[in-house]
Amino acid sequence: MEIVGVDTGGTFTDFIYKFEKGWGVHKLLSSPANPAESLLKGLNNVISGSNYKIVHGSTVATNAILERKGAYTAFITNKGFEDIIEIGRQNRTQLYNLNYKRNPQLVPKELRFGIDCRIDSQGSVVKEIDDSEIEYLLRVFEKIKPASIAVCFLFSYLNPKHELAVYEGLSSLDVPISLSHKILSEFREYERASTTIINAYVSPKMKRYIKNIIEETKGNELRIMQSNGGSISADVAMRESVRTILSGPAGGVVGAFEIGKTAGYTRLITFDMGGTSTDVALIDNALPLTFESQIADFPVKVPMIDIHTVGAGGGSIAYIDRGDSLKVGPESAGADPGPICYGKGENITVTDANLYLGRIVPEYFLGGNMVINKERIIPFFKSMAKKIGLTEIELAQGILDVANSSMEKAIRVISVEKGFDPREFTLFSFGGAGGMHAAFLAKLLHIPKVFIPKNPGILSAIGMLMADIIKDYSLTVMLDSQNTDYDSITRLFSDLDNQGVDDLKKEGIEDKDIIIEHYIDMRYFGQSYEIMVPFDENYQEAFHNLHEKNYGYCDRSKNTEIVNIRVRARGIPQKPEFDTLECSKKTIDHQAILDVKDVVFDSRFYKTKIINRDLLKCGNVIEGSAIIVEYSSTISIPPDCSAVVDKFGNIIIEIQGEE
Amino acid sequence: MKANPILLEVFKNKLSSVSEEMGVALNRTAFSPNIKERRDFSCAVFNNSGDMIAQAAHIPVHLGSMPLSVKEAIREYDFEPGDMVVLNDPFKGGTHLPDITIVAPVFIEGINKPVFYVANRAHHSDVGGMSSGSMPLATSIFQEGMIIPPLKLVKKGKLDKQLMSFFLNNVRTPYEREGDFLAQIMANMTGLRRMEELIAKYSLETVEFYSESLIDYSEKIMRKTILDIPDGEYFFKDYMDDDGIEAEKIKIAVKIIIKDDNAALDFSDTSQQVPGSINAVYAITLSAALYVFRSLVNENIPTNAGCLKPIKLITKKGSLIDAQFPSAVVGGNVETSQRVVDVILGALSDALKDKIPAASQGTMNNVAIGGFDIRTNKQFTYYETLAGGMGASIESHGESAVHSHMTNTLNTPIEALEYSYPFLVTEYSIRKSSGGIGKFCGGDGLVREIKLLSDAEITVLSERRKFAPYGLFGGENGKKGKNIIIKDSKVFDMPPKFNIKVKSGDILRIETPGGGGYGK
Repeated sequence: MEIVGVDTGGTFTDFIYKFEKGWGVHKLLSSPANPAESLLKGLNNVISGSNYKIVHGSTVATNAILERKGAYTAFITNKGFEDIIEIGRQNRTQLYNLNYKRNPQLVPKELRFGIDCRIDSQGSVVKEIDDSEIEYLLRVFEKIKPASIAVCFLFSYLNPKHELAVYEGLSSLDVPISLSHKILSEFREYERASTTIINAYVSPKMKRYIKNIIEETKGNELRIMQSNGGSISADVAMRESVRTILSGPAGGVVGAFEIGKTAGYTRLITFDMGGTSTDVALIDNALPLTFESQIADFPVKVPMIDIHTVGAGGGSIAYIDRGDSLKVGPESAGADPGPICYGKGENITVTDANLYLGRIVPEYFLGGNMVINKERIIPFFKSMAKKIGLTEIELAQGILDVANSSMEKAIRVISVEKGFDPREFTLFSFGGAGGMHAAFLAKLLHIPKVFIPKNPGILSAIGMLMADIIKDYSLTVMLDSQNTDYDSITRLFSDLDNQGVDDLKKEGIEDKDIIIEHYIDMRYFGQSYEIMVPFDENYQEAFHNLHEKNYGYCDRSKNTEIVNIRVRARGIPQKPEFDTLECSKKTIDHQAILDVKDVVFDSRFYKTKIINRDLLKCGNVIEGSAIIVEYSSTISIPPDCSAVVDKFGNIIIEIQGEE
Repeated sequence: MKANPILLEVFKNKLSSVSEEMGVALNRTAFSPNIKERRDFSCAVFNNSGDMIAQAAHIPVHLGSMPLSVKEAIREYDFEPGDMVVLNDPFKGGTHLPDITIVAPVFIEGINKPVFYVANRAHHSDVGGMSSGSMPLATSIFQEGMIIPPLKLVKKGKLDKQLMSFFLNNVRTPYEREGDFLAQIMANMTGLRRMEELIAKYSLETVEFYSESLIDYSEKIMRKTILDIPDGEYFFKDYMDDDGIEAEKIKIAVKIIIKDDNAALDFSDTSQQVPGSINAVYAITLSAALYVFRSLVNENIPTNAGCLKPIKLITKKGSLIDAQFPSAVVGGNVETSQRVVDVILGALSDALKDKIPAASQGTMNNVAIGGFDIRTNKQFTYYETLAGGMGASIESHGESAVHSHMTNTLNTPIEALEYSYPFLVTEYSIRKSSGGIGKFCGGDGLVREIKLLSDAEITVLSERRKFAPYGLFGGENGKKGKNIIIKDSKVFDMPPKFNIKVKSGDILRIETPGGGGYGK
């Protein structure tokens, strides 16, 4: 059986696939209007037999929200609370904007409905639901015909009775209904309602998309990547589409984690520099998870890989502001008009600055398939440099310095600000532009090594192939841990455990490949934030220790509370093994040196070798300065650094000196 | 020497990182929900004369006032390495007693005086005084809690345990306070370490030079912003409802004089300070002015001393907006600060029709409820502020049910509230048609209705119950707010500021004001 990983991105759709002789990669332009088109076309190109399996990361759910093209969705909640989704947490995201406007709601006022019923904080019914109210809603919905329905009642995770009554009562409509206690069985009504609405809003579109692929691929197995770093069956993805938001970037982090592990690196800072933005994440022997993600300012509380994004990328525009400071981004030239050197743009970008200094070699950019016009950028650099009294080289260098400084700031947010020392990590760089900046960024942060994987341009697709099948479950229990013994907590897990095993078996995983992990969210009594702790006999001690690590102190004499229990059910698929390179001597083959050119580092020219990555062998050492080119990326090795190739074809740059 | 435009931008990132990392350290190590969940704190870096260089964007009301605290600390003490000074005295650079500031000097080898300072300010949820939560309807500062003049809390790296013990014996929640104090000290340590690293890497001379360059940079952009306002004199006045004790219809008036790239704000015609607690010290008025002008700037500039240089404040000592010892001030910070913003914006609306919106709700609707929870047999205290409508502008309707101007703190989720307190929330909704009608309508306020499940004591400190948020250019005023108590189905209208004992089963209903409309 063949296996294919497919990652649909904004510009390219990437494939990695297994065939008789080993692994192949394939890339083609995405078809944003109908993403399935590129996927099917590419599959056709890479698949030979009729029996295969696909793992796919899609942007369908994300784009439905960003472009506001999801389903016509109705929202049902308790009477008097219809506006909770609009009030949110009552704060504004821009402090100094006198005309601040929220993002418009996915469900407008006229589609929000209140039912006079209530459950209290103990799960007891305060006000019973009146069937006539549901019948009334049924008649209204028959008229206005919503395409999807979200239901969220207060404390439904303690007692789902009313949500289930609504589900029953409206089932004759034959419209998908998302119930909050099923999507996210946790307290904090606004975040739960928001997550449920997003699910309702994107699911119908996702369902159409997936059904189409299943039909076209004649029922071959299709798995969908989730934002938590694991995959799920197409069936679940159609019902719980909210779990697939931001799955592309998650695939990249999973790919970094797995490839780093294979090569012996388990503590990584991932650095994915794209055209308009840069994603960074920190891996400390495990995938980083967050429960506080947002999309278009709407909270999504399902677990997701913790990725921090900053608005600086290859296409970021440089300009001089009213106070004579050099700014880079967040405005981007995007793909159209693109950087000046692509032939259309009129604004200097980071890519243009790299080109000006010689760090992009036009002949080898995207395999020489992209026309890069170096002449065109020169007058633009002349005029801006003159305007601020710098030489053109100083300006180009300065643009990179400013861009690096905002990416440095982003890495500090995920490392230093969370109590991690970047010096203990390896910078794992992927994406097309990352290799040109990684060594300089590592210098700024005193990171000793940079890791650039083989095929850095399709890492997300690789991650999808390597990902476990993951099902996450949670439940708010709100227990005083002093009055709760270990066994009774263990018993609480059993329902979720059974559900996890059942669900994984349904996905075709055998018992021996199933791992069940238990976690609890805890806090000190009186606190309003929780820490997730692995659950075993020593959970109390683990909580105090983690509290000390995260927050700088702990107090073993203070009462604690167990807020949520969490089950993560993992199915371990057969993971692909990658080919290894033939080992060779330190010196690189003569044929690998494509050219020698003048490239600027530290404001002066260095005679610099241009090296073809495809001809490098395990054990080869590349002394800086050097530029290593391959089809989808370019790597800068500064003069005082050197790099070595490992047996998997990864390049590891040893960093010397500081910026 | 001229500032290099690249290093200027790089230092902007570096210095803002220092204050942001201080903020993260404070947030991470603080104990109380008020700091952790509602994020009621600010951190900043200062030059050796106490001028602010960079501040993390946290709470506007701390903006102008932090430097005054730092300057007061510098004036009173010769710092030595490892010292930290604590203060909250509103008459010495503070704002109100719950806001406690800690200042620390940056030293480098070979220079025997501080080269920079770092400081942070956090809102402590209890500092003693006549009611729990330290937000009472007081008539003198002595009822509001303990007053801390500038005092050395840390001496040469050692915490003064006697002083700390004295503080902790004067507050209701000493355990929480101790945690928050230590967090503030940790935040300063983070700032010190980062400044030392920066100096080691770039040299003192360079860091000093670019710190001053950043102040100049903000000043330059602020001056260009003011230059875009037509020259002239602009007037506006508005009123506070009352002081909760005896004074009513208390006037705040401003005359703004714009000349080239300078602005003078003259508040001389404002009422005298009042017996109740809505008196605002000078630092608050300065913060409100800085907030408004900073909001007029299009660029994302560092908020620092440069922003203030083109702005001159004229106030009469002993007036409502420059209150003197020993007046009660706790409400000045949360309520009067909002009205000062309203009058400055009102005056500027004549000059900048396309930029200035109508009045927003103009209050923070402070609600405190304390009592004995019969479900858990424990004392409880709850404090929260409620959002309202924002004013409409020349291009759009005002936003509804959102915090505006001088505050931006979060609400407490209903499900969290009902777990922690003996409450049943019976309504939380947008208050329909409360925004002023106009070509563009003001945003609506909100309704929060809470049924008490135990006997309790309620304190409310609110405004815009008598004088509505103004509309502009023919837009109608926003609806005034309402405070209501419902006992046995009987509805009682309550004043803007009140304290009352209620029984289990009684209902508190707050309807917050709408924003003003804009145009006909």
